[in-house]
Amino acid sequence: MDLNYSPEDVAYRKQVRTWLERNLPFSPPRTLEERKVWHRKLYEGGFLGMGWPKEYGGQGARPMEQAIVADEMAHAAAPAPTNGLGLGIVGPTIVVHGNEWQKKRYLRKILTAEEMWCQLYSEPNSGSDLASLKTSAEDKGDHFMVNGQKIWTSGGKVADWGLLLARTDPKVPKHKGITCFLMSMRQPGVEVRPLKQITGSAEFCEVFMTNARVEKENQIGKLGEGWAIANTTLGYERGGRSLARISGYAAQYHRLVGAAKKLMRNGRPLMESPTVRQRLGKIWADLEVERYNALRVLTQLEKGEHPGAGGSLTKLSYSEFEKRFMEVAQEILGPYGQLTDGAPAELALEIDTAVGEMGTWAYGFLWSRAGTIYAGSSEIQKNVIGERILGLPKESRADRGGAR
Amino acid sequence: MNFSFSDDQVLLKNSVRALLDEHCKPEHVRAMMDDKTGYGEPLWGEMAKLGWLGLPFPEQYGGAGLGLVELALIHEEMGRAAYPGPFLASVVLGGFPILLGGSAAQKEKWLPAIASGRARLSAALQEDRLDCDPAGITTTAARAGDGWALTGVKRFVPWAHVADALLVPARGPEGLSLFLVDPKGAGAALKPVTGMDLTTRWSELRLDGARVGADALVGGAGGGGAILESTLRRAAVCASAEMLGAARRSLDMAVGYAKVREQFGQLIGTFQAIRHKCAEMLMEVENSHSAVYYAAWALEAGAEDAAIAASICKSYVSESARKVCGEAIQVHGGIGFTWEYDLHLYFKRAKSLEVQFGDAEYHRELIARHVSSAS
Repeated sequence: MDLNYSPEDVAYRKQVRTWLERNLPFSPPRTLEERKVWHRKLYEGGFLGMGWPKEYGGQGARPMEQAIVADEMAHAAAPAPTNGLGLGIVGPTIVVHGNEWQKKRYLRKILTAEEMWCQLYSEPNSGSDLASLKTSAEDKGDHFMVNGQKIWTSGGKVADWGLLLARTDPKVPKHKGITCFLMSMRQPGVEVRPLKQITGSAEFCEVFMTNARVEKENQIGKLGEGWAIANTTLGYERGGRSLARISGYAAQYHRLVGAAKKLMRNGRPLMESPTVRQRLGKIWADLEVERYNALRVLTQLEKGEHPGAGGSLTKLSYSEFEKRFMEVAQEILGPYGQLTDGAPAELALEIDTAVGEMGTWAYGFLWSRAGTIYAGSSEIQKNVIGERILGLPKESRADRGGAR
Repeated sequence: MNFSFSDDQVLLKNSVRALLDEHCKPEHVRAMMDDKTGYGEPLWGEMAKLGWLGLPFPEQYGGAGLGLVELALIHEEMGRAAYPGPFLASVVLGGFPILLGGSAAQKEKWLPAIASGRARLSAALQEDRLDCDPAGITTTAARAGDGWALTGVKRFVPWAHVADALLVPARGPEGLSLFLVDPKGAGAALKPVTGMDLTTRWSELRLDGARVGADALVGGAGGGGAILESTLRRAAVCASAEMLGAARRSLDMAVGYAKVREQFGQLIGTFQAIRHKCAEMLMEVENSHSAVYYAAWALEAGAEDAAIAASICKSYVSESARKVCGEAIQVHGGIGFTWEYDLHLYFKRAKSLEVQFGDAEYHRELIARHVSSAS
């Protein structure tokens, strides 16, 4: 056990930091176009597609280097690249499950943000029970014809392509009849409607597919293997930006302590109130424990081990933490915490939301409700942990048969 | 960067578990609950032979020269077995102050004696006010001849009734100092108290002008504070490791039970009410593992955040172990509430360690001080 970073990692961190100091945009990008400019700069700097093979434009870097880049970006409050779903989900899926033609055709354009991506998984009646999805892809000889509706599609409005899960065989048990596709969003059969969330913004969309077309060359993996592929994809979503997430929380936390020193209650700064100190002390302890957890995950990844169901533990722990953190922030900030505009500078939070708008404490608080739902709700994670790590017996379910 | 155990550490953990599985079964633990001394000499001798009692001491003092990660591993296994005995008291509370601040003569005298199991030590850290901060200590040390006379009352001194010497912090003209005190010597009176965890023994120590020689001073006059703080951090992490072991054992029992117990014609493990509880318990246990071994490593490596990591560890694990051990009883239902069933051994062990070496609230205040000056 040695939790010191190796000299190479320390040197690499310094290199990344220097690059960021020199290249950070003067004012944060607001529009998609500004964000794409920053995205390409990151790509040219060698900081995107860190874990992807070099021949497709990636960096072939170690997980630790990947984590360092994300972490330094968080430290520097650097804006996130755009095409988050392409980088985080679609690219890794193509790297692992795609064929040679697909890798050559799609990967580099994800990295350059020439083609923007979204993920077409959830449906109105298939949330936690994703495998019950009903969108169909019918074999028409030279192509597949897609009909159905998707929901919670992040970035659907700007996407050129979507990673699609659709049912190709309704007669077999539901997990076995699903296939994974790459579908063009730029076609007459695809209609995208923005979906306004409780934050007031619209990162999400609904996507309606009516006789939409998917070429045969854009099937990922074999027919009926879509569920297995989706599960590894969700694994990427869970494993991902371990250290950077914590550094982001830490930056927000320090701003919160700063606010607690300025705000007064009962004639003295909140930071002198024992109950506030207890709450803040607990949040820092929890936050650091999340950082230690991230180091454990990184150790596994560095050894070439996949965290597997362990990713469910990580996700459960940090997403629940984020909710507790934001609740404490709201308690400390009172009405200031609810401002979406007009907060005094020393009580404001500026976090990059990667969707072209600046975050506030209010946004962070509301958004924290999403973390325990997306990519498998906390309840689903607990089922996975119970079944796959603890080996508890499977519950009896009414849906073990075919999908209808 | 490597947050996993080395092969040697895994070997050590396995051998500790194997020995305790054989010699520290629940029957042994229960027998010791009724025993006058509270621990078994044969097992103590076995632990000495295997080098556990001198694990963190240099080889020149009969130690194994290993670090805090290894020490935490042993403590985790002891928590898992609800081991009854003065291991933490003697090795950590007794050994570290001498190792960190003792004179050559004190090290020569005491460390090999602790390592060989010949002597058992402990430390008297709490007073009436239960303030864990060394700054709050009121016991006094007055010059008396060549030596000192100590006066004050210490509470909850672990395993003092079988200790050959106690480390006693007291306030003298030069400030806080540490003294080696014979608990059976003149001017010292021990009164055992009985807590709900019968596998841990506490005594009250009354010092009424107890005389100690000049050679009883550990770390120089006024030099007690720093030694005490370092020792407290190590004790906090080792206690956390023990709580972690108790929690993991409780979780294992709960999961095992959920796989065999049927109600409503089904295994209770199929119910989400039970499964989700077990998943949350595992999350707490794994988070505690992270907290314990990060802090153990940080203290051993002298990392910048070592002190705060120890506080994070103790505050986190104190609450999560209590939660996990308690939820294990809940999963079991009525059977988990019985004396015959072993769950209460771990539940009580975790509870007794929760309030030692600073409870969660105490350590959270230390964390708040740290972040307040850092933000």
